[in-house]
Amino acid sequence: MSGVDHDDGAPIAPGSPLARVLDDFAVPALPAGFADRVLAAAEARPSPLPELRRSGGGGGRGQGRGWRLGRRMAIGAIGFGALATAAAATGLLDRFDLPAVPSPEKVWASITGKEAAPVPAAAPVVPPPADPEPAALAPVRIEGRIDTPEELGEAFRRIDEVRQGRVEARRQIIDSRIESEIERRRAAGLPLPTPEEEARVRQRIEDARTRREGLVAERIEARREELLQRVESGEGLTREDIARPLRDDARALERAGRLERLRRMTPQQRREALRQLPADERRELIEAWRQRRAGRLDGETAATASTPAPERPEASPAPEPQTSQFGTPGDPSAAAAPL
Amino acid sequence: MAARDPAALREAIARHAGPLHRIAWRMTGDSHEAEDIVQEAMLRLWNHAPRLAARHPAGSGAASTLRLSGWLKRVVTNLAIDRLRLARRVSGEDVPERADDTPLADVRIEADQGDGSTRALVMALPERQRAAIVLTYYEDLPNGEAAAAMDMNIKAFESLLHRARAGLRQAFAAQGDAR
Repeated sequence: MSGVDHDDGAPIAPGSPLARVLDDFAVPALPAGFADRVLAAAEARPSPLPELRRSGGGGGRGQGRGWRLGRRMAIGAIGFGALATAAAATGLLDRFDLPAVPSPEKVWASITGKEAAPVPAAAPVVPPPADPEPAALAPVRIEGRIDTPEELGEAFRRIDEVRQGRVEARRQIIDSRIESEIERRRAAGLPLPTPEEEARVRQRIEDARTRREGLVAERIEARREELLQRVESGEGLTREDIARPLRDDARALERAGRLERLRRMTPQQRREALRQLPADERRELIEAWRQRRAGRLDGETAATASTPAPERPEASPAPEPQTSQFGTPGDPSAAAAPL
Repeated sequence: MAARDPAALREAIARHAGPLHRIAWRMTGDSHEAEDIVQEAMLRLWNHAPRLAARHPAGSGAASTLRLSGWLKRVVTNLAIDRLRLARRVSGEDVPERADDTPLADVRIEADQGDGSTRALVMALPERQRAAIVLTYYEDLPNGEAAAAMDMNIKAFESLLHRARAGLRQAFAAQGDAR
């Protein structure tokens, strides 16, 4: 290509042919009025807009960035602290089982060296309501066959203990429901029942419970009499002999609950609910309703001797029960009598 | 200048406009373009003067490190490179329909051999290589200052300068062979 230099990138030596050529590159002088022209343009040009961001108070660019970064970190730390304090104050940490923040009493006790005042015992927690059916089938251990009246009496005593527990649990459930309803109404700003109204409701519930237990007690007494006769005649009873009627009665309870739910529905809803049941359950339910209705009519017939007959147009149950017939109010305890 | 004093601008023009015009003229080869570039650089100084004064307060160490001529040379170099790239982009897209009767580069080199062969040599270089030659050979800047004027680190600038010299020598040799 050329035989100029071996190192083409070497500095251009003064006096070399290339340097002599390059030195010929003369520059014309600036025109005379150049400065005036620039000054005129400077005057015509509007003053620059202010900076969008502060440059950091006269310091260097890095210094301003440092201050901004420090300020952000401080804001973040303060914000985190505020959130953590709020979480501790509202008990959020305890809810998530984070034992991070001790209570003020503990902190004060650790400072003063005194024992913290004992925390007043919390109200006894009501055990969760037991499922009626398991409660009914509570374990009453019977060793071997029951073939003496003493053993049978012992079995009845155990059963009564379990029943008493169930009754107590039901009473506590009712109380807690009443309390929670009153609390809900108070929180919602709804009118609260007066003490007289509340006492009346409690009395009504108590009356219903007493009536139901009276019916149940009659049935239990009859059943126990029958069992006692079987034992006295030399027959040995097993656990199943006593428990089976309980299961039947548990089913009866469930059926009564269903009937009660159906009774509270509108005729359309009741018809639809019955249609959606399996055929067996529907038949069973209707049969239970018939028996219940027949029993109630018998009771009313017996009562007419002393009281005027109520206005009841139908004298006998309809051959094919319509769903709307479940709208007749009835006593739920009549079909809910266990044992 | 930070106080928007026109006399200060006039003094800055008197002190710096000459060298800046040389750089711009040797970069573009056009006196109007060169004057525009220098004017734009001086106006940018006029606008940035308050900010520069705030960052380099008088009497501080920062003020002693501020070299106004270096700042202006960097502005001029960048403006010249930008304009050359813009001109190349614009002129490269438009293909004239009629035959261009302007002489081709080699013809122009031959025509300008008498008075402008040097100019053709420099103008044949890519713009960044051209800037490297202008700053180091014509303005006699040290490599460090020239690299700063082009916003490059010293190693990259030296590599660029090496390629620029090599290209210049090859073009010069080609010119000699053509003769």
